[in-house]
Amino acid sequence: MSQTKGTVGIAGAGILGRLIACYCLEDGWNVTIFDEGAESPCPMAGITAAGAAAQKCGSGGCPSPSYVAAGMLAPYCEMRYDEPIVPRLGRESLDMWSDIIKKVGGDVFSQRAGSLVVVHQQDKNEFLRLKHMVETFTKEPVMEHVKGAALRELEPEIDPRITEGLYFPLEGQVDSRGMMAALGSHLRKSGAELNFNTKVTSIEPNKITTLFGSFDFDWALDCRGMGAKADLKGLRGVRGEIIIVHAPDVNLNRPVRLMHPRYPLYIVPRPNHDYVVGATSIESEDLSEISVRGALELLSALYSLHTGFSEARIIETATQLRPALMDNSPKIFHGKGLCRINGLYRHGYLISPKIARLVASYLSEGKAESGYEALFETAGK
Amino acid sequence: MWEIAGTKLQSRLMIGTARYPSPEIMQKAIEASGAEIVTVSLRRQGSQPGAQNVFWDILRSMPVKLLPNTAGCHSVKEAVATAQMARELFGTNWIKLEVIGDDYNLQPDPFGTVEAAKILTDDGFEVFPYMTDDLVLAERLLDAGCKMLMPWAAPIGSGLGIINPMALKTIRQRFPGVPVIVDAGLGKPSHAALAMEMGFDGVLLNTAVAMAEDPVKMAQAFAQAINAGRLGYEAGLMPSRDFATPSTPVVGTPFWHENR
Repeated sequence: MSQTKGTVGIAGAGILGRLIACYCLEDGWNVTIFDEGAESPCPMAGITAAGAAAQKCGSGGCPSPSYVAAGMLAPYCEMRYDEPIVPRLGRESLDMWSDIIKKVGGDVFSQRAGSLVVVHQQDKNEFLRLKHMVETFTKEPVMEHVKGAALRELEPEIDPRITEGLYFPLEGQVDSRGMMAALGSHLRKSGAELNFNTKVTSIEPNKITTLFGSFDFDWALDCRGMGAKADLKGLRGVRGEIIIVHAPDVNLNRPVRLMHPRYPLYIVPRPNHDYVVGATSIESEDLSEISVRGALELLSALYSLHTGFSEARIIETATQLRPALMDNSPKIFHGKGLCRINGLYRHGYLISPKIARLVASYLSEGKAESGYEALFETAGK
Repeated sequence: MWEIAGTKLQSRLMIGTARYPSPEIMQKAIEASGAEIVTVSLRRQGSQPGAQNVFWDILRSMPVKLLPNTAGCHSVKEAVATAQMARELFGTNWIKLEVIGDDYNLQPDPFGTVEAAKILTDDGFEVFPYMTDDLVLAERLLDAGCKMLMPWAAPIGSGLGIINPMALKTIRQRFPGVPVIVDAGLGKPSHAALAMEMGFDGVLLNTAVAMAEDPVKMAQAFAQAINAGRLGYEAGLMPSRDFATPSTPVVGTPFWHENR
């Protein structure tokens, strides 16, 4: 680095911490990252949530949501009537992901083949509600109502009883674990200092204290997610359960979301016929293993979409807590020498690039990017 | 003022806590509804003992009376155990009893509900039984010790409104002294107004508010509809008839013959 603007310390090496580090390095800051977890806490398939938890990875002793996430990049599927900011952040992040993937190199699996929302006839109202919401909030043509042959052309194998769907051609996915690893190497190569297995005990303006000592920075950034619970009023964890299966008999081309009256369930393909199905959404900070009810709901969704899943092998189950604020929207709490970024909830991969860019720009320019002021809140308010 | 389970209330609206876009909106919607009784599910938000439940902490901090429910329970045993857990967790002997008979449309199991109601009332619970609109079932629940009834208008979350007015009317007429709350299936404020005009003591809502485009405004709309419906009931509805009765007599109206 030929010139440096100063020093940034980041607590939390989840997807958000890593992307902020990435943009800060590009902007000319010296970057140091601390994380309680191991560098590769979830070494691929074959591990159970209990096993992963035993490794004490991520903050709070759970597999970090950044490793468990399905990595869906679906701003429109996640729309809410009251919250236009998440789809907007997600839409901007979609294009940023393409650049990030180019930048970090490696062979991280990702695609922009769109996503498909399907419905069983009895849940048609949920489907129409989503359609209405997207039509209300988007001006650009982001959605196609596909029926019959058009639906089969996209996904020839899904259950013949499913006769219509909503196709979102702009949406995509990224392999979360591959991306975490690739970002780690990229950050090291770019000159960041990464400290894993280093528990952060406090974050103050200009200072991060770990079990191994205190370190001064021009900016201290708190990206610990649930790890920040003691420092952020109103932060809560929302339990989510996922299952990964290996299904050689199934060929899905893109993430498929199944409308369901109680949960939006998604099935996300990964290379080699692996599929992630998730996620339950339960208001509890219970990190114990997946419940039978959760597993039944997720597996029923799989089976109802494609009977080929009946012979799939369950290769992993996991439980995570998504950090959410009271309005379920992300926030950047800023003060002199300290920012806490939290509340990304179910949308870590979807919105992290734009949030990371906003934070990095804020550090350089001292003000929020125009149009995004609502995300910023003065710390301690 | 009215009374249920020994508690005096102003509001005749009870509200659920599931499926809101965020806890913040839920809180605002509950405030806007004016509801004094708020239901909370133990099973759907199930926790292992010891796990923190911030969502429950939020509810406990609100100035409302919590009515825990056994939503998601499929057997008598499960419902009874959940009720006992709720009594400890929330320090109340109130329980909204739900024993689900059909998993897809969440239709309550009448046989299991009666059996569980008996066990729970014997154990000192004040049971608010969620039930279909069957008259005989209503009788059996009262025999089991329930002091109120909560028949559905339609399946939970369907938003269909009162699908069998005759059945509900019968329950209302046959048990005039028993508080009867219409629980589940209402979609629009007008549905709630209708239920109140029929003389029911209150209405329990969740999805119609939580899934509205603006839940806070919808909570207000329901509150007003419920007030209007109740006032209408108390004011005494005029008897309806199948032909027009002009409020202004036609005889004596100048030029009446011109319309011939």
